[in-house]
Amino acid sequence: MGFAEVFEEYGANYAKAIFETLSMTAICFALAMVLSILITVMRVSPIKPLRVVGDLYVQVFRNIPGVALLIVVAYALPNLKVVLPWKTCVEVTVVLLASAFGSENFMTGINAIGVGQIEAARSIGLTFGQTMSKVVIPQALRSAVLPMTNLLIATMLTTALGSQVPLNPQELTGLVSYITTRSTGAGIIPFVISALCYAGTAFLLGIVGNRIDKKVRVLR
Amino acid sequence: MSAHTVSMRDALYEAPGPKTRRLTIVGTILSLVLVGIGLALVVRQFYVSGQLDAKYWVFFTQLHTWRYLFDGFLGTIRVAAMAGAISLLLGVLLMLGRISNVRPLSAVCRVIIDFFRGVPSLLLIYFFYLVIPQYGIRLSAFWMITLPVALAASGVLAEVFRAGVNAVPKGQTEAALSIGLTPGKTMVKIVLPQALRIVVPSLISQLVVVVKDTTVAYVVSYPDLMQNARVLITTHDAVVSVYLVVAVLYILVNYAINQLSITMARRSGNPIVSRTTENPT
Repeated sequence: MGFAEVFEEYGANYAKAIFETLSMTAICFALAMVLSILITVMRVSPIKPLRVVGDLYVQVFRNIPGVALLIVVAYALPNLKVVLPWKTCVEVTVVLLASAFGSENFMTGINAIGVGQIEAARSIGLTFGQTMSKVVIPQALRSAVLPMTNLLIATMLTTALGSQVPLNPQELTGLVSYITTRSTGAGIIPFVISALCYAGTAFLLGIVGNRIDKKVRVLR
Repeated sequence: MSAHTVSMRDALYEAPGPKTRRLTIVGTILSLVLVGIGLALVVRQFYVSGQLDAKYWVFFTQLHTWRYLFDGFLGTIRVAAMAGAISLLLGVLLMLGRISNVRPLSAVCRVIIDFFRGVPSLLLIYFFYLVIPQYGIRLSAFWMITLPVALAASGVLAEVFRAGVNAVPKGQTEAALSIGLTPGKTMVKIVLPQALRIVVPSLISQLVVVVKDTTVAYVVSYPDLMQNARVLITTHDAVVSVYLVVAVLYILVNYAINQLSITMARRSGNPIVSRTTENPT
């Protein structure tokens, strides 16, 4: 199949698939950010059980393979009488994975600030709330721009897990498998289109992230 | 952060007074209760849906179950080791091309690196599983899973190596050139050996990504840990227990690799460069 034929027959599918991949990426990344802030707050809180749960959460979800988690969510949970729609399964999986890495990014950002700054803030009389809002959080956010850009790209790549469950409409990876098994002799074109969509988006996101980082980075 | 300094986590708070200490104790008890309730709810859900029945768990006491899972794990190791080796080689080659002074070569390598870093490994697996056979190229299941995993890793590794080369002090190259070594010799004899040592912790942590990517081997029916788990599920009709056990196995293996990489990083003082810490462009 040539490029024109693929475009003619599956153009609409591709439009839907691109939208599906991008919208899933956006939703999952937003949710993952909220969740990772929550987890990070738990991990730096003075309450021991919360710290332990937060650390455990991160270790579990940064070390579990994405497919293994998806299979647990999509195929094991129904046996525990928790039945989610296919798309929600994928989204839950991606959010759980991404939030663990997001929390790690925040922790790295916080750790990079250095104890001396906290001591300095305290010695000039800032309260805990002031230290957090004026010293810790702004710096942690600034130094998290680049890692979070990478996480956003990784989140997009992780949504490819959607190809392992029957989604309708499909995302970019599932669509390649669908087209290639449906039209014999579809050739390399469907793969190339999807791959370029992913790599192109990743490239653009990288450029944007880099620009923002250059503007806000804290030079140490 | 080493053990004798105060960690950032603890530095955030002043030494608590009696009031705060009481609050912390109340918070600790409350959160313990909440965690307990959460766990109880999970166990209850298992009980209610009958997943705690002995028939779902009893076969884990038999040796051959574990032997079968271990066979699968060996398959995982085989794929991960081969993919790791290939990606190391490819990664170094791509990195050398990327930093070379020959503009076209550098540009091509950059595009290749960005491509493999920007494409999901699952898509690459479908490429080797569904696209390549259409052109009459027959690969065994082993290579259909190993090659895409290796390619996906090589893009990231090239950037890791580049970070390593950049971390070697400039003076080393200048000194090497000034005593008359050619640029090629300087790279091979002076810069690369040091760069490799710097990136060892990063390479180990990258192994986690490779192991994770091999999990999709069931797509091409290669008998790795996950694929053997799926066979166990059909023979014992036990979805939840098998998947949970296998998930825990993967987590433990990857956790061990991560800890090893952290230990190496701490001992050598070299940072871990990974996908998330590197520059995205």
